[in-house]
Amino acid sequence: MRNFLKVAFFSLLVIGLFAGFANFGIPRIEPAPPPTEEKIDLGSLTMDQFLVLGEKIYKGKGTCTLCHNALGGRAPLLEKAAAVTAARLKDARYKGDATDIESYLVESMIKPSAFVVAGFGKKGTQDAVSPMPDVSAGSIGLNEVEIAAVTAYLQDMGGVEVTVEIPEDAGDSAAEDEEQQRKPYESAEDIISEIGCGACHKVGEDEGEQGPDLTKIGAIRSAAHIRKSILDPNAELSKGFEKDLMPNDYGTQLYASELEMLVEYLAKLK
Amino acid sequence: MKFKNQNRWGITVAGVALLALVFFLTPLSFSGEFFDIAAQAAEQAAEPAAENSAEKTEGAEAASPYGPAPKTTLASYPTVKGVNSRLVIWLVAQLHLWFAAFVLAVPIFVFIIEAIGMRTRDRRYDNMAYEFIKVSITAYSLTAILGGLLLFSLMLFYPDLWSYLATIFKDSMFWYAVLFFAESACLYLYYYGWHWLQGGDRKWVHLTIGLLLNAVGTMLMFLANSWLTFMMSPEGVDAAGVFAGDIWPAIQNHLWNPINLHRVVANVAFGGSIVGAYAAFKFLSSSRAKDRAHYDWMGYNANFIAISALLPLPFAGYYLTTEIYAFSQQMGITLMGGIFAWLFIIQAVLIGALFLSANYYLWCCMGRSDGAVRYYKYIKYIAIVIVAAFLVWFTPHTLVLTNEELKALGGPYHKYVGPFGIMPAKNTAVNLMILATFVSFLFYRRANKIATVSWVNAGNAAQVALFLVGVVNIFILGVYYGYFTNTVYKIAASIPQVCTTLTIIVASILIDSFMYRNSKEVAPLKWGRVPERSQYALFLLAVSFTWLMGLMGYIRSGIRQHWHVVDIMRDNSADAFTPTMGFAANVVSIGTIIFLSMVIFVFWLSQISAKKTEPENYWVPEAVDGMAAGGGKG
Amino acid sequence: MKIPKLLQAVLVLAIVYYGFILVFDVILDHVIPSSLLTMYMFFVVAGVFMVFTATEESTRELVGPIKALVEDPSKKTIRNVVFVILPLLAGWYTYGKTSLSFEAPVELRTIHPAPPSSMKAYGKRYDVIKLENPLRKLEKEDPKKFKEHVAAGAKVYIQNCHFCHGDKLDGRGPYAAGLNPTPANFQDIGTIAQLQESYLFWRIATGGPGLPKEAAPWISSMPIWQNFLSEEEIWQVILFLYDYTGYQPRSFGHE
Repeated sequence: MRNFLKVAFFSLLVIGLFAGFANFGIPRIEPAPPPTEEKIDLGSLTMDQFLVLGEKIYKGKGTCTLCHNALGGRAPLLEKAAAVTAARLKDARYKGDATDIESYLVESMIKPSAFVVAGFGKKGTQDAVSPMPDVSAGSIGLNEVEIAAVTAYLQDMGGVEVTVEIPEDAGDSAAEDEEQQRKPYESAEDIISEIGCGACHKVGEDEGEQGPDLTKIGAIRSAAHIRKSILDPNAELSKGFEKDLMPNDYGTQLYASELEMLVEYLAKLK
Repeated sequence: MKFKNQNRWGITVAGVALLALVFFLTPLSFSGEFFDIAAQAAEQAAEPAAENSAEKTEGAEAASPYGPAPKTTLASYPTVKGVNSRLVIWLVAQLHLWFAAFVLAVPIFVFIIEAIGMRTRDRRYDNMAYEFIKVSITAYSLTAILGGLLLFSLMLFYPDLWSYLATIFKDSMFWYAVLFFAESACLYLYYYGWHWLQGGDRKWVHLTIGLLLNAVGTMLMFLANSWLTFMMSPEGVDAAGVFAGDIWPAIQNHLWNPINLHRVVANVAFGGSIVGAYAAFKFLSSSRAKDRAHYDWMGYNANFIAISALLPLPFAGYYLTTEIYAFSQQMGITLMGGIFAWLFIIQAVLIGALFLSANYYLWCCMGRSDGAVRYYKYIKYIAIVIVAAFLVWFTPHTLVLTNEELKALGGPYHKYVGPFGIMPAKNTAVNLMILATFVSFLFYRRANKIATVSWVNAGNAAQVALFLVGVVNIFILGVYYGYFTNTVYKIAASIPQVCTTLTIIVASILIDSFMYRNSKEVAPLKWGRVPERSQYALFLLAVSFTWLMGLMGYIRSGIRQHWHVVDIMRDNSADAFTPTMGFAANVVSIGTIIFLSMVIFVFWLSQISAKKTEPENYWVPEAVDGMAAGGGKG
Repeated sequence: MKIPKLLQAVLVLAIVYYGFILVFDVILDHVIPSSLLTMYMFFVVAGVFMVFTATEESTRELVGPIKALVEDPSKKTIRNVVFVILPLLAGWYTYGKTSLSFEAPVELRTIHPAPPSSMKAYGKRYDVIKLENPLRKLEKEDPKKFKEHVAAGAKVYIQNCHFCHGDKLDGRGPYAAGLNPTPANFQDIGTIAQLQESYLFWRIATGGPGLPKEAAPWISSMPIWQNFLSEEEIWQVILFLYDYTGYQPRSFGHE
């Protein structure tokens, strides 16, 4: 028994020494608590950063400036969009169900036809239908967070109070997903409707006016010329049309097979 | 029944075949399944890949039977009033691991000892092996109980994690459970058949059962290892945690083999140290010279096994760390450069304690032979090398400086001590420590002998030259390649360092064994003639080893930080934070105390099983006599 | 005359202790940190104790005087003196360790806090684990261009960094004396030589405020350089840091 106690005492002493060294022999550092946000650090974004995100989407992924610019007059300028909302909501032509600036702006992106600014409607509809696509769908495909960011940006730009709250989760996954491969379009008609040629060109059902009429383009242009014009729109401008209006990145947006399909389709329109 | 002599080979071959069967049977049985699943998964993967990205996730979710890793909230972690679930899991898992390590290690060296006994025909080895395996029987049931407790606690406190892991590892978990029958069967046959399977071919059968026992045990551990390494370096699942359906990549994840290797080696060292402590205690508490001699001898052998396994352990650990870095630099730096860096200072102190006590034990044990006097004068030099190497080994990368010292140094960097803080210096130090320990061992071996071969002087000179060249080489590798070349060489230089050390050890053993062939025994070893101090060195070894394992268990698990499964399944419980070192050390200390108390209980059990009390006037004498009388009549 | 074992042991310890102080504080002019010295001595004491008790004979010699002091009736006076002095010494040591002083508390600096797995800079998100210096490949592909980048990095360094980190990259710039924690010394083997370039990019781009909590004290005055330098400039200056010091960034692939 005496031996047992001696050994037990010795063992406890050794354990005590180790524990003592670990407690007092090394500096006491408190490890950082786990980060609060998960994956996307939306939670840590300040409003300023969120506005920067909104601006980035507005000018980039959202492709808003493609039409909403001072150049072609294809769509109304949005600098004052938030500021004039109050008037819009009271307008007799307003068909949506938004109640405040924030919800109006969101609605205008998802249901563009709820209110069409005079003179910017689809041709022949007397400003009842907007040529603008739903930004939450199709090739633009903004997610809720991105739409919120753009809304905040529009509010900020319009000089009204930013009421958008930074969402807690959901993510920039859409931004990542865009990098991934999409499934090729199956027909030229799909391409035309998906990338929205009709917004500017007269093609199929659409009656766009900013670009040349394409309904009989095959009769006046060769396939090679059409291909070149899609890939590099400024290379040879049709008479009466401005430079820089047509996006010059369809070459990267479309797969080669799609481009050929589209060229072939257009060249046959006679 | 008696086996004929020529059947021996047949039996051995059969044993090996059986072993091979066990090894390959399990993977095959689920490989058949997982090939099918893999084919399905591949088809599924091919289809949605072409679809639009947004639809892709949905498509995969709909088609794959496996969902993404669960996203937990605070509410997903059930609590029991007054119980800290993390502490429970922590302690239970650690205790389970300690016992499992012990239970796996003991058969490994029981097998070795039995084989040595068969070769030398020295009965003492066989008795010792039997004594060990007896201890491991009780420990085996404790391991199983603790494993069950761990399973319960996991299901109870971390149900989402459990179900996620179970979805992925269901096959291997099932076979794990089944394999336990094989393990139990082998262990019971091995233990209960010990005295029955003696002599000639029977002994071979017995040894084969021992081999099977080890094979099954090791496989069990490997399976369990895959679950925990999956949590550290998940593979076989996508970024969201959706299981691809193929279990093999999930098992064979990045850190699986490094952990397997590290654990096998560490288990042997750990088991050896515990048995050494057992022998030491028996030595201290027995008074008869014969018993003392037996337990001294047993303690020496256990210690020898422990130290032999301890020597390669730093290299296994280094391999593991390299792989952790290769898997994720972030995890590597969390491990070595961040807050856990201090944990490695604690580890360094413990490993230093292990080396010091191992050497001290050898020095004390030299006293068994009077011939040791010749070598006493060298002890202090060995000590100087070990202590000096040790000081380098535990110098922290980040020095704790008072403001005055900061000013005097002009910054937190120390020009001369600072370089000791990084790996090349530590590698050099640990190689030197190992060599010094080996020298202690050489002296111990020679203590009772005088070489009689004609080339003694040449042999000694060759050994001295070998050590000198080796040490110089280690220094060059450590200093030149460690500090003056780029990092690729820094890491690479540790390998030739290890090779140098191993070469020295192997070559030196070779020279020694030839030199001391037919040597003259000047003063025979007197087993039992060791000071009691030396036995405390064995306790220090066992306690340090246990504590060290607890600490390293904590860090291995702790570098996952707030993840259940790194980067895939986040820990959102209240205990997701990393505790301070001091707290962790206290938990480890408590765990060590619980474990050692349980081990003492196990040893005590094996002791009372041998005791017999003959009570007076308790049993009715007539009954016994009547039986005997009745038997006589019949 | 043979020196008694106990005295020998004490002498050895004293020699080692003052040897450390002599070598580091006087000869090398770099004080040995007291925390380190304490731990060193603990293990030196352990080592000395082990050597002196390795054999029976020497143990007896070592313990003999102590035993005699406690047990020998003739040594009563000296025993009483020792038994008074020892507790006093212990008390004095404890008092010295625990009493309050005007010395500011020791601040610990983690030299390499673990980097985050991804970081934000320039409005982009970088995967720190996989991030590589885009200019590094030029070292092989286009040495001339590489040299240009190194030179550009040198310019960036002299214009922005040398004030603190020094014109020799040794952390001793003109302003260094005023800073605590002091600027990193890139010449030290323990700094950039141990790190991947992505780590440097993280530290430079996010500066002191980007340090994680464990890198306390959280008072590094390193600016957030992404506000002042372009992405390319940061990569250039990283090239320069390695080029000037002659170190190679840590990498896991062979060249």
